[in-house]
Amino acid sequence: MEISELKKISDRSYDVALAKRNALEKARSRMLLAHGGHLFNADAETINLVKTMSDDHDSFYMLDANDNPVLIDSPQEFLGLLKAKNQEALNTYHQAYQQFTSIR
Amino acid sequence: MTKGVLTFCINTEFYRYDKIAHKTLPLLSRNLGLPVTVVTNSQTHDHLKDIEGIEIMVIENQTGNTIDGKPWHNLDRHRAYDMTPYEQTLLIDIDYFCYTDNLLTLFDTQEEFLVHDQVHDVTGNNTYDFRRNSSIPMVWATLVYFRKCVRSKSIFDMVAHVKNNYDYFCNLYRIDFKNFRNDYAFAIALQQLYGFGKFPVIPSKLATLPARAKVRSVDQQGITWEVNGQHGIIRHTDLHVIDKGVAHV
Repeated sequence: MEISELKKISDRSYDVALAKRNALEKARSRMLLAHGGHLFNADAETINLVKTMSDDHDSFYMLDANDNPVLIDSPQEFLGLLKAKNQEALNTYHQAYQQFTSIR
Repeated sequence: MTKGVLTFCINTEFYRYDKIAHKTLPLLSRNLGLPVTVVTNSQTHDHLKDIEGIEIMVIENQTGNTIDGKPWHNLDRHRAYDMTPYEQTLLIDIDYFCYTDNLLTLFDTQEEFLVHDQVHDVTGNNTYDFRRNSSIPMVWATLVYFRKCVRSKSIFDMVAHVKNNYDYFCNLYRIDFKNFRNDYAFAIALQQLYGFGKFPVIPSKLATLPARAKVRSVDQQGITWEVNGQHGIIRHTDLHVIDKGVAHV
């Protein structure tokens, strides 16, 4: 393959990688959720913690995104909000990702 | 409880911030749906009159600061606390392009004062690695959320104190940027008032288009840019645009 062609592929790959990074960062920004006056990231870690704790606790304490302790007294409602926010953000990211993959 | 956006827009002899305001303020109004108050001076005021749906507050701004040898009218930011007509305020730079409603989340918290402490360079060049430029981590005063309360009042008053003694604080914290910069003034104020420990932040990264990237187009969906022959596009993402040439795109 000619070096000019390789250069084109390299440039295109860089553009796609950058677009993916920006789309992922956009998704992370979109995962910010306010609940009970506190800020949370609706990411996998938060969802897993809330799911795990809610398995055998009607209420429990956890840290918000700024390390403030928070009493979660309606875990199922909170979990539902987290999952909805997470999937909204990742659905958008998935759509963007599919476009990037198709132009690779 | 009243909520709104406060922003400063003051032209210099080199830069037409009012032209940037014509692009960013409609985005703010449309995507946040909040009242917007613009703080300006009498010279810039005439250029802002045709923007619909905003309140204008005219001040006599302080002058004397520079950046890259050009005037930099950033010395009145600490007055935002007293100026804002809102109980909950988003203080936003005029070059912040708001393409989402993400910021509304901040109004639903009990936090009294929030800033970004992380930035995301959308060109992928990691332009803003300032770890070695001072002995304290910088925060980004581009976007500040605050409530009317004693805590926020004390932070803005501390910023004023830092501003008035900036050379001293620059030496104390070994800050490379010798001209007054609000980012460092707020970082110092927060360090001082939160016991030199953690302070609440906006737990996401401030998406930023650095100065080297030249904006090529702006529309209702997003922005395209060029840097070193590389073209980029970002859509439906809030973006802090440093390139002042965006005024003329």
